[in-house]
Amino acid sequence: MKRSPLQMTQDRRLRLIGLRLLLIIIVVGLWGIGSLGAPAFILPSPRRVFGVWTQLVVTPGFWADFGITFYRIAMGFIFATVVGVVLGLLLGASRTLGDFFQPLLVVINTVSSSIWAIFALIWFGLSNWSTIFVVFMTAMPLILTNVWQGTSTVNRDFIELAQTFRMSRLQVLLKIYLPTILPQFFAGARLAFGFGARVSIVAEALGASSGIGYRLRQAADLVQTDQVFAWTLTLVILMIFIEAVLLKPLETHLFAWRKPRPA
Amino acid sequence: MSVVQLESVGKSFMRRDGEQLEVLRNIDLDVPERSIVALVGASGCGKSTLLNIVAGLIPPDQGTVFLNGQKSSAFKDWRTMTYMFQEDRLFPWRTTAQNVALGLEAAGMPRKERRDRVMQVLELVGLEKFADSFPHELSGGMRSRAALGRSLVTEPSILLMDEPFSKLDPSIRTQMHDEVLRIAGLRQMSVLFVTHDVEEAVVLANKIVVLMPRPGRVKETREIALPYPRNPLSPEVAEEVRLLRLSL
Ligand SMILES: Nc1ncnc2c1ncn2[C@@H]1O[C@H](COP(=O)(O)OP(=O)(O)OP(=O)(O)O)[C@@H](O)[C@H]1O
Ligand SMILES: [Mg+2]
Repeated sequence: MKRSPLQMTQDRRLRLIGLRLLLIIIVVGLWGIGSLGAPAFILPSPRRVFGVWTQLVVTPGFWADFGITFYRIAMGFIFATVVGVVLGLLLGASRTLGDFFQPLLVVINTVSSSIWAIFALIWFGLSNWSTIFVVFMTAMPLILTNVWQGTSTVNRDFIELAQTFRMSRLQVLLKIYLPTILPQFFAGARLAFGFGARVSIVAEALGASSGIGYRLRQAADLVQTDQVFAWTLTLVILMIFIEAVLLKPLETHLFAWRKPRPA
Repeated sequence: MSVVQLESVGKSFMRRDGEQLEVLRNIDLDVPERSIVALVGASGCGKSTLLNIVAGLIPPDQGTVFLNGQKSSAFKDWRTMTYMFQEDRLFPWRTTAQNVALGLEAAGMPRKERRDRVMQVLELVGLEKFADSFPHELSGGMRSRAALGRSLVTEPSILLMDEPFSKLDPSIRTQMHDEVLRIAGLRQMSVLFVTHDVEEAVVLANKIVVLMPRPGRVKETREIALPYPRNPLSPEVAEEVRLLRLSL
């Protein structure tokens, strides 16, 4: 019997969910086996970590730390997006500007996020801005580079067509440039968010008195390895949640016009 | 009065090896008000270049272009002219309806008005069932009809078309000919179009300009005085087609 395309996509989805579950079982299984031969302060068992985690989640401080970290990542990311998109479009639109700023971008890209974290500590001390700054410095160049490269893929024929309709510069920017760079922007933004979220933890560990990174360092200082694992678990869940609930559906919606790839 | 008038227009391109390539030489061309003019000629003889010059996309090296009697440089009503390019140039991220609406958006028409106009035009070009399809979901012929719709939706008084019907099958092509004739008559539109199809030129045009290549020059201008609608099978049309073939 032939199966309809709808059934086939459902089949594929079920298969994927099955594979994911299998992967989780294997990883947790290996972890469990490994923890049998190690003391709890080196490698706590999955059951123990889960127990600590369920206790952690119900403490009111948990959500405060969770929220403040999320806030810092989001702020840094939003600033990075705005600055990165605007600068990327500007540098893409003007050759002179592009050639002029190119070396600066290379320099920024070679400075490691940890160095930005140290600068942040010097400049902003123990405040939200330290972490926001580090996320921004990590994410912004990535977004900028992607948007900039995206502008070079704009179809000249479309610009010519816009000219025949006497479209304004702003219209050309919004109706041609923006849709053209969107896929590249999205790829860059996703990467930037991932990097930003990761370095935010380093920044918080170094220069904050709250947030997931700060709690992680605290737990590590007190050799509460199960706590370290529990906070890590929280982070992983947060990132998976953002990917599955925010980014993936948004991407599907935005790029519905793309020719589907053959399976 | 002439809607489009070219006086001894010439154009050369600098090739990448540094040599000048003379594409158009001493072109005189005249599109009278409410007329349909066809440009025919071998591939590469500069037909698209000529339309690009008329549309103001590239400047001529010699000569002058007049639009509605004004020098092209002083012309203001560019939105009354639309240009259907040789390629469809549909935006892949827009649906058919959204692509057709582009010119209306550029002119700042409110969304609601836009919708009605777009639907009318889609019906005209036979794409009302594909309003929400993306370009990659359309056939080649459907894509060129969408591009035609995009050129018509702003109700231009001057329409430039570069091989507009070359991707259509014969029956739809005849249908599109009828539509263009109807709209041209209804809206007092003047048309300048390029075609490789001699019969198409004779069925549609009041005037046929034959170009010869290297460099592109006007070889001959034929007035076609037959009454509309013109039946491609009639002996008069067949005779004009034969004469034009001889000239090519
Ligand atoms: N921007 C350009 N730079 C250099 N050469 C060009 C450019 N545009 C066109 N040409 C050259 O000018 C000549 C005429 O091109 P054009 O596209 O006007 O021909 P055409 O008559 O429209 O041909 P076809 O019927 O195949 O569409 C060609 O030899 C082409 O290589
Ligand atoms: Mg051409």
